[in-house]
Amino acid sequence: MNNITMNMKKAKIGIIGIGRMGMTHYSIINSHPGVEIKAVVETSSFISGFIKKYLTCVNSYLDYLNMFEKEQLDAVLICTPPTLHYPISCRAAKNGVHVFSEKPFTTDCKKAAELTQLFNKQNLVNQVGYVNRFNDVFRKVKQYLDSEVIGDIIRFKSEMYSRTITKSEEGKTWRDSRENGGGALYEVASHAIDLVNFLIGKPDKVTGSSLSSIYSKHVEDAVNATFLYKNGISGTLNVNWSDESYRKPTNKIELLGTKGKILADQHGIKIFLKKRDLVNNFHEGWNTLYITDLFKAVPFYVRGNEFTSQLYHFIDCIHNRTLKNVCTFHDATQTLEVIDEIFSDFELNGKLS
Amino acid sequence: MMQPVDKIIFGDNHFFGINHMSQEKAQQLAEKFFDISAIYAVYKTAIDSGIKAIMLNSNERAKDICKHFKDNKSKYPELNWYPSIPYPHKYANLISEKGIMATINEILFKNNTPIDAIGMVTKGGIGLIGKDAVKLMQMLIDVEVKMFKGLNIKVVFLQNIITDLMLGYNVRIIFEEYCNYIRKKHHATPGLITQNMPILKAKLEEWGIEGVVICSSFNKIGYLMSPDIDAYLEAAKKNDPTKYQLMAMSTLASGAIPAKEAYEFINSQNIQSVVFGASSKKHIEETASLIKI
Repeated sequence: MNNITMNMKKAKIGIIGIGRMGMTHYSIINSHPGVEIKAVVETSSFISGFIKKYLTCVNSYLDYLNMFEKEQLDAVLICTPPTLHYPISCRAAKNGVHVFSEKPFTTDCKKAAELTQLFNKQNLVNQVGYVNRFNDVFRKVKQYLDSEVIGDIIRFKSEMYSRTITKSEEGKTWRDSRENGGGALYEVASHAIDLVNFLIGKPDKVTGSSLSSIYSKHVEDAVNATFLYKNGISGTLNVNWSDESYRKPTNKIELLGTKGKILADQHGIKIFLKKRDLVNNFHEGWNTLYITDLFKAVPFYVRGNEFTSQLYHFIDCIHNRTLKNVCTFHDATQTLEVIDEIFSDFELNGKLS
Repeated sequence: MMQPVDKIIFGDNHFFGINHMSQEKAQQLAEKFFDISAIYAVYKTAIDSGIKAIMLNSNERAKDICKHFKDNKSKYPELNWYPSIPYPHKYANLISEKGIMATINEILFKNNTPIDAIGMVTKGGIGLIGKDAVKLMQMLIDVEVKMFKGLNIKVVFLQNIITDLMLGYNVRIIFEEYCNYIRKKHHATPGLITQNMPILKAKLEEWGIEGVVICSSFNKIGYLMSPDIDAYLEAAKKNDPTKYQLMAMSTLASGAIPAKEAYEFINSQNIQSVVFGASSKKHIEETASLIKI
């Protein structure tokens, strides 16, 4: 807790949608000393029943419009199914309310650009839940790339695997509909793409895209694509959310540079260097850094340090407007643009006639 | 005054492909213990080395392990059990696939049909269950603890993902009712696993909930210890073991700290119990001999 937080008035927060993410975010943000959760919006009678009975200091609503009319809020966390993210953000901006939105914050690039402009114009904090940007390992990788530990990047590989969907879907939920923001590309690959944008920058061209269905009826379960850059860098994306060989969701990145190579996942970093690096104390050949060397303890832990760090960052940005907001609508728009290009590339070139 | 727990407890992470530091190591472990008889062999080695207590998470494979020990109870009459519930990934994956309500339905009704649950549903529909989270929690506890029935259960632990989630919600009654239910229905001591020990302990004190075993990461590099290591040292130092028994896990920080160094640190703390995992006779015996609390 910093002094700024201590002396500030508590930020009044509303949480919209108490599903898996909303549930976690509630617990984490409620631990922040600069926060007071005032309202929750949830349509399921099961969850709202729980809130009414056990969280008596919080006002519970079925409709977010109703909440915005009645509550004086500083910020909202949007954790609903993706189709609602855009209208809720618009409504929040109308009230001058800061927004943290789960991804994708919209599935339409035009709307994404519009929201970015709207929030920046009103000087409102805006953040999207691309949590890898707050991961201790990937932050360190970014630092090494910026200080050119492996020189200029030549090629890379960004991968993500999980066992999220392992049974045939009936095709009835939002997760099985691309229009509603479902599918492996929006839900899982977006993290691997955002990591590429964060570490290397947005690719100039997407090619060689393939989307495969394994269990889902209407959406893809696996994604491949190649990213090209004007400066000569190229890289590949390989994502599968129906890979049962992974117990937990796993992000991996491999970066080959002129001076060496970096392999990283949530567990740690392996660095191969052609020459010794005195600044970082790396020797020639392989060097290993484990998460136990890299972590930074968070004030309250629920699901991984990065989940706490991202929400505390959002709140800290509200309290201290001189802080540089990370993982903004602008960043998320760039991620969305890459997703759109993968869809278009696959439609145009990815199918055999 | 609470009953002291076993000082040395044999854990299970290494059996189930769990390693916080390395995916590769985790995969190797999963391969090694694919055959359940390899797990039984390690348990036998541990027990032969003097281990008298086992912590086991209620995952799918734990069902077979429990059955094995029930079938061979006469061979291991003095063994104490420390179940941890639930297996969080089962719930997380089901919730991702089906949503919260369908998950609860499946867990409660798939292979288990507690009469209470059917009663509740016929009375007012499944939506009513949300309004009585305590009742729902009790039904879920029964489902998870079922596989351990017949073994000598000392403590029933709530997994950290659930403990810490609920700690963030700051709802006293959930913790109170969990502890009461474990004592009354399952005749065991309530246990809470957490990655926020100093915060949880302060809350339990504030709420007047005592007689609880608190299991948390405890290592000299402060790994998985929120808010920070100093808060842990302070909380342990001030702890009254007649009210809370502190159990240390992740003592080696997934292998980042050499065993000797790790346990010299642990031995100097006011900690009542240590849970550790190891696969070879040498490592099991070495670790057990280093723990002097």
